[in-house]
Amino acid sequence: MDDLNVKNQPALKQFVPTPPRPPHKSERGVFGTIRHRCFNSIGNSLLTLCVATVLFYLVKHVLDWAVFNAVFIADNRRQCMDISPDGACWAGVISWFNGLIYGRFPIDEQWRVNIGVLLGLVWLLPLMSKRIPLRNFVLLSWIGLYPFVGGYLFLGGRFGAELGLVHGAMTCLALAFLVILYANWILSALGKKGLNELFVPLVSRFVERRIHLLSFVAVWLLVGLVIAFGLSQIALEPVPIDRWGGLFLTFIIAGFAITMAIPVGVILALGRRSKLPVIHWLSMTVIELVRSVPLITVLFMAVTLLPIFLPADMEFNKLTQVLVAVCLFAGAYMAENIRGGLQAIPKGQYEAAATLGLGYLHTMVLIILPQALRMMIPNIMTSFISLLKDTTLVSIIGLFDIMLMARNIANDKDWVGMHTEPLVMISVLFFILCYSMSQYSLNLEKRLKVDR
Amino acid sequence: MIQSSTSKPYKNPSKGAGLPSSTTQKWTSLLNNDSSRAVILQAIVLALVLFGLWFLFANANENLNRLGMTFGFDFLQVTAGFNISWSLIPYDPGMSYWRVFLVGIVNTLILSFCVIVVGTIIGTVVGILRLSDNPLVSQLARWYVEIVRNVPLLIQIIFWFTVVFSTLPAPRQSYHLGEWLFLNNRGLYVMTMESALSWGWIVALGIALVASLYALFRWSKPYYTLSGSRSSGFYIGLAVWALAAGWAVWSFSTSTSLSVPTLKGFNYSGGAFLPASFGAAFVAMTVYRSAAIAETVRAGMQSIDRGQHEAAFTIGFSRVQSLRLILIPQAIRSIIPPMTNSWLAATKDSSLAVAIGFPELVSVFMQTSMNQTGRAIEIIFMVMGFYIFISLLISYLLNKYNDSVQYKVR
Repeated sequence: MDDLNVKNQPALKQFVPTPPRPPHKSERGVFGTIRHRCFNSIGNSLLTLCVATVLFYLVKHVLDWAVFNAVFIADNRRQCMDISPDGACWAGVISWFNGLIYGRFPIDEQWRVNIGVLLGLVWLLPLMSKRIPLRNFVLLSWIGLYPFVGGYLFLGGRFGAELGLVHGAMTCLALAFLVILYANWILSALGKKGLNELFVPLVSRFVERRIHLLSFVAVWLLVGLVIAFGLSQIALEPVPIDRWGGLFLTFIIAGFAITMAIPVGVILALGRRSKLPVIHWLSMTVIELVRSVPLITVLFMAVTLLPIFLPADMEFNKLTQVLVAVCLFAGAYMAENIRGGLQAIPKGQYEAAATLGLGYLHTMVLIILPQALRMMIPNIMTSFISLLKDTTLVSIIGLFDIMLMARNIANDKDWVGMHTEPLVMISVLFFILCYSMSQYSLNLEKRLKVDR
Repeated sequence: MIQSSTSKPYKNPSKGAGLPSSTTQKWTSLLNNDSSRAVILQAIVLALVLFGLWFLFANANENLNRLGMTFGFDFLQVTAGFNISWSLIPYDPGMSYWRVFLVGIVNTLILSFCVIVVGTIIGTVVGILRLSDNPLVSQLARWYVEIVRNVPLLIQIIFWFTVVFSTLPAPRQSYHLGEWLFLNNRGLYVMTMESALSWGWIVALGIALVASLYALFRWSKPYYTLSGSRSSGFYIGLAVWALAAGWAVWSFSTSTSLSVPTLKGFNYSGGAFLPASFGAAFVAMTVYRSAAIAETVRAGMQSIDRGQHEAAFTIGFSRVQSLRLILIPQAIRSIIPPMTNSWLAATKDSSLAVAIGFPELVSVFMQTSMNQTGRAIEIIFMVMGFYIFISLLISYLLNKYNDSVQYKVR
């Protein structure tokens, strides 16, 4: 508007602000800034000096304890104390390092955990590339298919025997999907057609519609069969769930909660916004009830009440119960985030979608939810961070996550009473994880603002 | 569902406009009709939920029968028979489970109340320090917040308990401040005043004194605002109040004696006692809460336009005046909703003290009592009911307050 007015009235003189004067010479440069901001008055100078002294002693003591006086090689705590009584005894943490990461997973089978985690990361890697079409689909496939691969690797057993044929078949399909994903990525980088187009000429002879889809399914099944043949030759050592532990278990719980939070949250949030009273009140009750009780009571409830309220012949391990509870809890919190996003969508978007003739499902999936989720990314990331921190609570009900493993070091006969070092170690670990997540979310927020 | 009705008008035949005659078409029209579809969908959901509930309760019934247990709250009258390490209200093992429930509630409320009060004060200070011009101070505040926020609360609680409070000296070598404060690895012993009067009377008297002073000022306010000076009635009232207050203080001081903690054998007796688990939980939760509140306060203060600050300065307000009259009233509007959530979170977080054995609700009722009685359903119902009640209460009260400070939009 302003531009238009200026064009219509060329005689009007435009306001040109005088550029601000540069700061005084004493305020320029590094020393100038320090003098200006830290020593500009007597009170401020005293404050600066006090804070600097406190910081100096704090940093000095922490460094002395953690680095300079620390013991890195020792057989037990007594030796540590003999070498350096007032330093950290990292030797204990180092000797328990494997336990902190893998829990009580058999040492010979730990490569499976490594490969499983690596596969999960590799699966998500294409999300970094802008070249991959249907990137959201890759994320969905990870949520839907990766758990089968993970379960196969972590639980072990002969193919299709211990875990059942369905699980085996899904594992093969999941691995086949991963192979096709990477093949397509490489082929598209080379400028060639994707692997899923392989059967297009063949399929087009028999049918006329949905040629590409059918060809993709055919390729998928074929690769899946090859993989099934490969897997049936290998027998993995079965590992019971109660041997899972350490950081690995923490990641499993947090990963499950994070991936399940969004779908559960979307369903609950849409239910709460629904105009149908029954659905509205049901969702609202679930959200409000779950949000007003502490997570630890939800965990206790899952552990004690699920066996009572479900048929007696249903077998439950503690991990499944915890996953159910965490999933419900995370979903209720996520629902409120998503509801905030849904409320921020202007009404015009709904009306525009209705004008285009889109139904409820299409309106939500194609128009509303992408905008709402994108708008709420910072809040969703905050929820993820608190979920990751909250997973430590499972140690209270006796799952051997990293927290309980760290507390158990103090019960080891070689390292009796060693509390500080393991706690500091896992604190630093959680700090690095959560801090990088929060910085990433800030970064993402800035990027999304630029996009708009 | 509502959206689809507007989006597919061609599938939504208006009533009376030649309804199709064959039965299959009637069915489809029933499914595509907006109102009938809403009814059908809700009926299906309701039926599923009811079926689910029936399924769960039938299982529970069967399982309880199999275990030879019944549902009911009669166990609340049974003697609990276990000791609770610290309780604000009188408790001994001969009391009932209902008393255990009350002890847990009081301990939970005390812990969360202390955390909320101290955490809010520290958090506000840190939040304002983060906005300091001095880079050293603001960075210190920033890293305090970052470090505390990004380490799980449970780790911090256990850290304070095992690393700090449990490594304090034994009772014989405890740190002490004169004769009235002793700190050792069992906890904190403080000197207290013991009065011949009952505490209820003293508290009631104190409240009555404060209330009457408030009423006096309130009563004299209309005259003061009109004339600018106090009426003579106000001064007479003030004198009477001062006499009453003096009498109250005198009678209080003559009827009280000091109870000093003294070492007897391996432990102290006399005075008040706070266990180390309370100290650790309190310190850890306060630090954690203060970091969250600091972020809230910082965001609230930053949300005020810089021009407000400059305008207050221009019309000659001092820094305190501009904070009190211009900045804080505006910041409070954006601070209250997240602050409410923070306080609710503090109440819920107090349940984590179970990890270090502080006898709060989850610890005494959900763990010990449940293990002894096996009444899982009733106990979980009661504990969750308590937390839901507290959450609803706090959010109701703060919503009321929030409504009173928000901008009035007409």
